[in-house]
Amino acid sequence: MSLASLTKPWAATSYGFLDASAKRELRRKMLKAISVPGCQMPYASREVPMARGWGTGGLQVTLTLVNPNSSVKVIDQGADDGVNAASIRRFISRVSGASETWDTLAASIVQSRHRVPEEVMGEDQVLVLQVPNPEPLRGVEPNISVARQMHADADYGKLWLTLYEQIVRKGRIMQGAAYPSMVNGRHVMTPSPIPRWDVPKLNMARHLTFLSAGREKRLFAVPPFTRVEPLVFSDRPYRVEDHADLTCRRSNVSGFFMNELPIDGGGSAFEVSDSNLGIKAIRQAEGAPAEIGKTWYRNGEFSA
Amino acid sequence: MAYVATRGGERAIEQAERLFRQDLGAIDAARVESIQKTMPYLIDRVMGEASLYSEELAALALAQTGGELSEAVLVLRAWRTTQPRIAIARPVQQDELLTQRRISAAFKDIPGGQILGPTLDYSHRVLATDVLEGKPFTPPAVDAAARPAPSRQPSLANWQRQQGLVAPVNVNAVAPEDIPDFTREPLLFPASRAHRLQSLARAETGGVLALGYSAMRGYGNAHPTVNELRLGEAEVVVRHPRGTEFSAGRVRVSQAEVTSKEKGGYLELGFAATFGWNEVKVIAAATLDLNSAEAPVGSAVHEEFYLYHTESVEASGFCIHFKLPHYVTFQSVLDAMRDAKATKAAADITPVETRQTEPAE
Repeated sequence: MSLASLTKPWAATSYGFLDASAKRELRRKMLKAISVPGCQMPYASREVPMARGWGTGGLQVTLTLVNPNSSVKVIDQGADDGVNAASIRRFISRVSGASETWDTLAASIVQSRHRVPEEVMGEDQVLVLQVPNPEPLRGVEPNISVARQMHADADYGKLWLTLYEQIVRKGRIMQGAAYPSMVNGRHVMTPSPIPRWDVPKLNMARHLTFLSAGREKRLFAVPPFTRVEPLVFSDRPYRVEDHADLTCRRSNVSGFFMNELPIDGGGSAFEVSDSNLGIKAIRQAEGAPAEIGKTWYRNGEFSA
Repeated sequence: MAYVATRGGERAIEQAERLFRQDLGAIDAARVESIQKTMPYLIDRVMGEASLYSEELAALALAQTGGELSEAVLVLRAWRTTQPRIAIARPVQQDELLTQRRISAAFKDIPGGQILGPTLDYSHRVLATDVLEGKPFTPPAVDAAARPAPSRQPSLANWQRQQGLVAPVNVNAVAPEDIPDFTREPLLFPASRAHRLQSLARAETGGVLALGYSAMRGYGNAHPTVNELRLGEAEVVVRHPRGTEFSAGRVRVSQAEVTSKEKGGYLELGFAATFGWNEVKVIAAATLDLNSAEAPVGSAVHEEFYLYHTESVEASGFCIHFKLPHYVTFQSVLDAMRDAKATKAAADITPVETRQTEPAE
C-alpha cells in the first residue's frame, strides 16, 4: 500500500467547487433552516467565482445539494437562456457533472432568480431561490441586529403598519414583488423578489424551497407542506398581478405571468415569462412531442 | 420555433468574455512578473483586500482582469476559499516586527526613534514627464545613515501603559485555533474584536477611507492622533507537527494605532492592521475602530454600518448586479401602480362627497 493509493488524485478544487468544510457548514444551516421554517440562518457564505449579488447564495446551496445524477435547471426572470442563468448552469454542470435541463419536470434542482416555474413541482424536487435581501424588515428597520430581535419577538407591527399606510395613501397595497409572507404561522420571510403571482405556489407545496442570500450571508427554507401566507388584512384580500387574461404573442398560452414588451406607437405585447413553458406550447402546436405538466394556475386561476 | 432558437444568451456571454480577454491580449509569466515588480503598492492593496498574501497570485489576478480592482480581488478570494487551512500562525507582536517605517504624531520623539523609512510624504508630487521625452528616471542612491536604525522597535503603547496613560492589556488567553475566523463564520453583531479587525483588514481601501474620512471631518466623535504607524515585515511563525516552531516566511504588514481622548482615566486606542503596505487604509480603519464605542446606531462609525459597507466583494458585486434584468419585479410594481391609478380615476369620475365643511375658526 502506498500513500498515493490512499488518496484521491490531485484536483484544483473539491467536487462541486466548495470544499468539505464549507459544505458541512451549509448542510448544518440548511437542516436548521428546514427545522425552523422561514427563520434566517447566518452562514459564512464563501466566495465563489461569481460576483456577489449574482446568485452566489443560491449557487452555494445548489453546489451543496448537487450530485452527478442531478438534473439542474437554472432560470433568471423565468428564462433558461438569460445570460446569467446560462452562466450559472454551465458552472454547476462543469464542477459537478450534473446534467443540464430546461424542463421543469425533468429537473431535480431548480435554481431561480425572481420566478417560480408555472408547472407544479413535486416532492422529489428542490427549488433554490436566489435572494438579494433576506430581511423583510429591512425597509422598516435597516439595522440587522435590531431586526433580528424583532423576529425573535415576532414583532411585525411596523411591517403591518407600512401595508396599512399604503392602503390609506393609495387605496391598495402597493408592494410589488417580494411580498412579505408569514411562514408556518411564526416567521415573516421575504419570498425573494418573485412576483405576487408566485407566492401561493410556495404555500403547502410538495417541493422543498431553499432561499439563500450569499452577499447577506443568510439562508432560510420552506419545507414541503408548510403554510406560506402573505400578510394581508382580513377585509383586503391578497391580489396577484392582473395577468390572468393576457396572451403570449409567440406561444398563444394565456393565464400565466407575462413579460410586457412596449410596442412602437403605443401599447404592449406580452410573452409568457416561464420561457420553457412557451417553448413546450409552441412544440405542441407544431405537433412535436412536448409534455406540459400540471400547472399551478389553470385558466388564470390559482388552484393547487 | 422562434423561442427554441433563442439560445443567444449562451453565445453572447461567451463572446463578450472573449472580447474582454482579446483586448487584454496574451498573458504570460513575463507580464505577471513585471506587474509584481513594478506595482508593489498596488499588489499590497489587492493582497490586503483579498486577504491572501501572495504577490505572484495578486499580480496574476491584476493581469487577467486588466487591473479592474474589484474583479482582481474577487478572483483571489474565490481561489483563497478553496484552499485548506493547514496551520495557524503565532500572533504577531509589535516589537517582533522587522520595522521599516514607524512614526508617531503624538510625541516629537519616541523610544526607539521616529523612522521615516520609504515614503512619498515629503516629496513634491511632480509628474516625471521627462521619462516620456526619452530621458529615463534613475532614482538617486540613498545615503546610508551613520548608524542604522534598529530593525525591531518597542511598542509606544507599552511605554504609555507603563506611564499609566493607556489601560493595561486585557490578556485574553485564546488558543490560536479558537480565534474566530471571519472567512469561515458569518459576521454577527455585536462583532467579536477578532471579526471586526479581520473585516477591516480585508475591507475595500476606498470604502474605509470614505467612511473614516467622514469621521475625521466631524461625523464621528473622535478626531484621531496617530499614536503609532508602522510598516514592516512579520515572520509567519507556525508549528511543525513535531512541535518545533519555525518561520515559514515574511509578509509585509501595516498597522496603525490612533488615539483621541481620555476615557475612564486612560487614552482610548483605535487599531487596524492589514497585509501589505497601505497607510491610508490602516489610519482610516483605526479611526473607525476608535469611534465605534459610542457610535449611534446607523451612523457611519457604527460597527455594523462600516463593516457591511466596506466589504469590497459584496459592495461591488451588488452594485454591478443592477445590470441584470429586473423586469419581473418591475412588472409587479407596474401592475400595482396601474391598478391604483385606474381605481383613483374611477373614483374621481364618481366623486363621493365625504369632506365635511369645517366651521371657520
